[in-house]
Amino acid sequence: MSELALHIPNGIIGIPTSLVFGLIAAIAVGVCVVASRRVLDERFVPLAGLATAFVFAAQMLNFPVAAGVSGHLVGGALAAALLGPWLGVLCVTVVVAVQALLFADGGVTALGLNVVNMAVIATFAAYGVIVLALKLLPRTRATLTFAVFAASVVSVLAAAAGFVLQFALGGEGPAQSLGEVTAAIMSVHVLIGVGEGVITAAAVVAVALARPDLVYALKGARIAQTLHAKETV
Amino acid sequence: MKTSRLVLAGTLLALVLGGFVALFASSSPDGLESVMLEGCRTDAEGEISGGECTLQQAGEHEIGGPLADYGIASVGSETLGGSLAGIIGVLLVLGLATGLFRLLARGRGAGTESRGE
Repeated sequence: MSELALHIPNGIIGIPTSLVFGLIAAIAVGVCVVASRRVLDERFVPLAGLATAFVFAAQMLNFPVAAGVSGHLVGGALAAALLGPWLGVLCVTVVVAVQALLFADGGVTALGLNVVNMAVIATFAAYGVIVLALKLLPRTRATLTFAVFAASVVSVLAAAAGFVLQFALGGEGPAQSLGEVTAAIMSVHVLIGVGEGVITAAAVVAVALARPDLVYALKGARIAQTLHAKETV
Repeated sequence: MKTSRLVLAGTLLALVLGGFVALFASSSPDGLESVMLEGCRTDAEGEISGGECTLQQAGEHEIGGPLADYGIASVGSETLGGSLAGIIGVLLVLGLATGLFRLLARGRGAGTESRGE
């Protein structure tokens, strides 16, 4: 049984396109490393590590979305809500890299494609939606639930759109037309996005109730300061 | 809840998800795979048995490795292998991510709170 998951295997997207996206991924991850340094405090490290392990475990849990079709968490929305955009991208990148290098999940040639879609695009799309919703609506539990749910759906669709773009640029093989692929990919990922939204909203609200200071998106403040404030009390 | 307790509880939960709950996950092809399989027929094992589809372009994985496809080939039982692969994966990602993020946090500022390791 092949386990390809949401990950692009090698051979589906041509080498030139894969290399270009590899470069884009490298630049994006580099920017996130530099930006993360400014917000990451050593006390927050165990939680960021835990969130990453969580995303890895959650990606193993394929849930059925239609007859004979499954989906699994991407994790970009969870990472964005808990860790913020910069560290969130690094979190999902670590997961996708380990999957490709050790678990044969997603091609090594396709690593750049997968990092761009699942780590960079999904995380930033989710973070944008969360920030916007929390800015426009009152900061209640219902708003947080809605914001994270909506962010999850948008992030999964955005990641799927990233694949469609890559397929349009460098898709190999004439078996399917771009229109067919686009329609099929986007419609199935609406369902996956809803599943992701339910799980992620439940997880983020649970953390927010227990330790609101650990939800990056709630404060919009630096992780370091909020955690210091809590722990030095 | 104290941070250390939260991390411990979270780690245990992640281990249960990766090492046990994952055994019950759906084995149907996922969103991307199912779309790339359109036009092909698959047999009971999920392998392509005929037709023409995008997924046929996919090559063998470049590395493969002992943990390929979230199993351990050398372990006879598929259930045990899958469970162990999940547990190894969760611990490995936890260790790797924590290590990398610690390096990042160290690089910040001029080592104001350096702890020996």
